[in-house]
Amino acid sequence: MSLGKFIAKRAFQAFVTLIGALLVVFLIMRILPGDPARLIAGPEASWEDIENIRKMLGLDKPLYIQFIEYVKCVFKGDFGKSIKYGTPVINEILARLPYTVLLAVAAEAIAVALALPLGVYSALKPNSTLSRFISAISLFGASLPIFWLALIFIYIFSAKLKWLPSFGAGSWKHLILPSFTLALLLMGNLTRITRSSVMEAASMNHVTTAVAKGLDNGKVLRRHVLRVSMIPIVTIMGLQIGSLLGGAVITETVFAWPGIGSLLIDSIFYRDYPLAQGIILFIVLAFVIVNLAVDFIYGLIDPRVRSRTWS
Amino acid sequence: MSIVLDVRNLKVYYELGNGVVKAVDNVSFQLYKGEVLGIAGESGSGKSTLGQAIAGLIRPPGRIVGGQILFKGKNLLELSESEWRKIRGKEISVIFQDPNSYLNPVYTVGFQVAEAVEAHNGGSPKHYIHKAIELLKMVRIADAPRRAVNYPFQLSGGMKQRVLTSIAIANKPELIIADEPTSALDVTVQAEVVELLLELKKELGSSMIFITHDLPLLLEIADRIMVMYAGKIVELGSSHHIRNNPLHPYTRGLLESVRYERKAKLKSIPGSIPSLISPPPGCRFAPRCPFAYEKCRKIEPPLKQVDGRLVACHLFNEGGNDG
Ligand SMILES: Nc1ncnc2c1ncn2[C@@H]1O[C@H](COP(=O)(O)OP(=O)(O)O)[C@@H](O)[C@H]1O
Ligand code: SF4
Ligand SMILES: [Mg+2]
Repeated sequence: MSLGKFIAKRAFQAFVTLIGALLVVFLIMRILPGDPARLIAGPEASWEDIENIRKMLGLDKPLYIQFIEYVKCVFKGDFGKSIKYGTPVINEILARLPYTVLLAVAAEAIAVALALPLGVYSALKPNSTLSRFISAISLFGASLPIFWLALIFIYIFSAKLKWLPSFGAGSWKHLILPSFTLALLLMGNLTRITRSSVMEAASMNHVTTAVAKGLDNGKVLRRHVLRVSMIPIVTIMGLQIGSLLGGAVITETVFAWPGIGSLLIDSIFYRDYPLAQGIILFIVLAFVIVNLAVDFIYGLIDPRVRSRTWS
Repeated sequence: MSIVLDVRNLKVYYELGNGVVKAVDNVSFQLYKGEVLGIAGESGSGKSTLGQAIAGLIRPPGRIVGGQILFKGKNLLELSESEWRKIRGKEISVIFQDPNSYLNPVYTVGFQVAEAVEAHNGGSPKHYIHKAIELLKMVRIADAPRRAVNYPFQLSGGMKQRVLTSIAIANKPELIIADEPTSALDVTVQAEVVELLLELKKELGSSMIFITHDLPLLLEIADRIMVMYAGKIVELGSSHHIRNNPLHPYTRGLLESVRYERKAKLKSIPGSIPSLISPPPGCRFAPRCPFAYEKCRKIEPPLKQVDGRLVACHLFNEGGNDG
C-alpha cells in the first residue's frame, strides 16, 4: 500500500467513526434527564415562557429533524450555537483548546522525561535498590486518586510554601501544578511499560548477536534494545495523549484550568446540547488523529509494520 | 601444531531459584590451529553453554564458576569487559543456531553487517556499507547490493544464516564457533551452508568449533570430535577413531540411532538426559546405559587415554587406579 492510499483509507475510517460518534452523542444527550429550556427560563418562568424558549432552540421539532439540523451545522463548520453562551460552538472550543493542548503536552513531556530513564534503568538493573524503589513509586503513582494528589500539591506548594498559584491560567507558573499532578499519574504506567518492554527486548537473541560482534554497551542498548522496545511505549503514550486531549476533567476542575475538560462538565450540567455534542465530537476526533499518528510511528519504528501498512 | 584454545576444568553453572544447573561441569580440551573440532551430544548436554563461555557471552543466571579458558596463551576469564569487547567478533566469533531470531528485525541486513566492521574500526555503520556488501558477496548472497538494504523479514532462512555468517567473519576471526548453524534450515540448504562455512574457514585460516547434535555430519567434516553428555565430555578423539571404533556406549548409541533412522530420537538409547541440578552419582549415563554395573552408579569414570582417544567409561578402565 502506498502512503497516499494508507492516508485515504484511514481518513475514510475516521469519517465513519465520526458519523457514528455524532449519532451516539446526539442520542445520549437527549436521553439525559433535564431540560435546557427550563434551565434557561429559570424557576419563576411560566409554562409558556418555557415553550417559547424551546421553540427558539428548535427543541420542539421531532428528534430526526433536530439531528438533521445538527448534522448541517456540523458540516457548515460552526457546530451549532451554544445554548449557554449564544456563540458558535466552534468558537468556544477553539478558545479552550490551546489550554488543553498546552496542559496535555506539558504533562506528557514531563511524564516521558521521568518515566523513560527510570523504566530503562530498572529494566537493566532489576535487582538494585533504586529499581525496587522505582517500582514501588510507580505503582503508588498509578493508583493514587488524582484529586487527592492535586489537593496535596496545592496544600504544599500554594498554601504552605506560597511558591505557585493554586488555580487559573495565565503564566507558566500556573501550568506547573496541574501538569506535574497529571504527569505523576501518567508516569506510573509509562515506567512499568518501559521497564517490561525493555526487559523483554534485552533478552532477545539478536541482542546476543550485537554483543558477540564486539559492539559497545551504549550502541547495543540504543540500537538493539531501546529501538525494539519502543512499540508498546509509543502505544501507551498515544493513549495517554489522546485522553489528555479530551480534557483532564478532574485536574482542570480542581485547578480551575480553562480547558476542554472543564468546559465539557459545564456544558453537561447546563444541558447545553450543541456545546456538549461539539466537545465530545472533538474528543473523538482527537483520538482518531492520535491513533493515526501512532500507527504512522509504528511504521517508522518497525519495517515489518511499514510493509504491511504503508510502504 | 600450535594450540589456539586451551580449556581447563571449565565449570559453567546456571544459578536458578530451584537449584544450580551444572551445564558445563569440569570440561577440559584443546583446539589446534586450523582444525575443525566437532562437539556432539543430545540437546541439553551443555554444548551451547560451552560455546558461549568461550565467546564471553554467558549472562546471568549463567556464571562461570571455575576453570580457565586460555586463548593464545591468555586466560580469557581474567579479561575486563573492555578487553573482552576487543576479542568478541574480532578474534572469536559465533554463528548462532536460529537465523530468524538472531538478526534485529528493525535494521537492514547491510547495516547489521556493517556494524560488525564498525565495532572494531570506529566510525559509523554508514562508512562500511561497501565493506558489508563485499562480505555479503563472500557468503555468496546473490545480488548483494540490493539485499543489503533488505530487512531480515524479507530474506529466506538460508539467506539470513549467510548474513549471520558474514557478520561472524567480518573481522577475519581466528576462532569461529558455529552453534548448530544448520539445524533451523531446510534440509536442501543445509549442505550448502556447511560447505560455505568450511570454505570460509579455510580461506581465513581460522580454527572452528562446530556444534551439532548430528554426529554423522561431524564424521564427514570434523578433524576431531568431542561427545558431551550431561555437561561432561564422554569421548574425545579423531573422526577416524570415532567413525571406525566408537568406544563409549553413548557415542555408539548416537551413531546407531542415526544409522537406523536419521530423524528419530535416540532409538537405541531409551530415556533422556538426567537433571543437571542433581545428576545421578557415578556415571551420569548409567541410568540409560545397557552396560551399566554397580561401580558405574557409585564412581564417576575419569577421562582415560584408551586406544588413541579419551573416553570416560569404566568398561575401558577396569582394574585401573580407581578400582
Ligand atoms: N539461560 C539459561 N538459563 C537457565 N538454564 C539454561 C540456560 N541456558 C541453558 N540452560 C540449561 O543448561 C543446560 C545445557 O543447555 P545448553 O548449553 O543449551 O545445551 P545444548 O546446547 O547441548 O542443547 C540445559 O539443562 C539447559 O536447560
Ligand atoms: S561407566 Fe558404566 S554406565 Fe557409564 S557409560 Fe560406561 S558402562 Fe555405561
Ligand atoms: Mg544448543
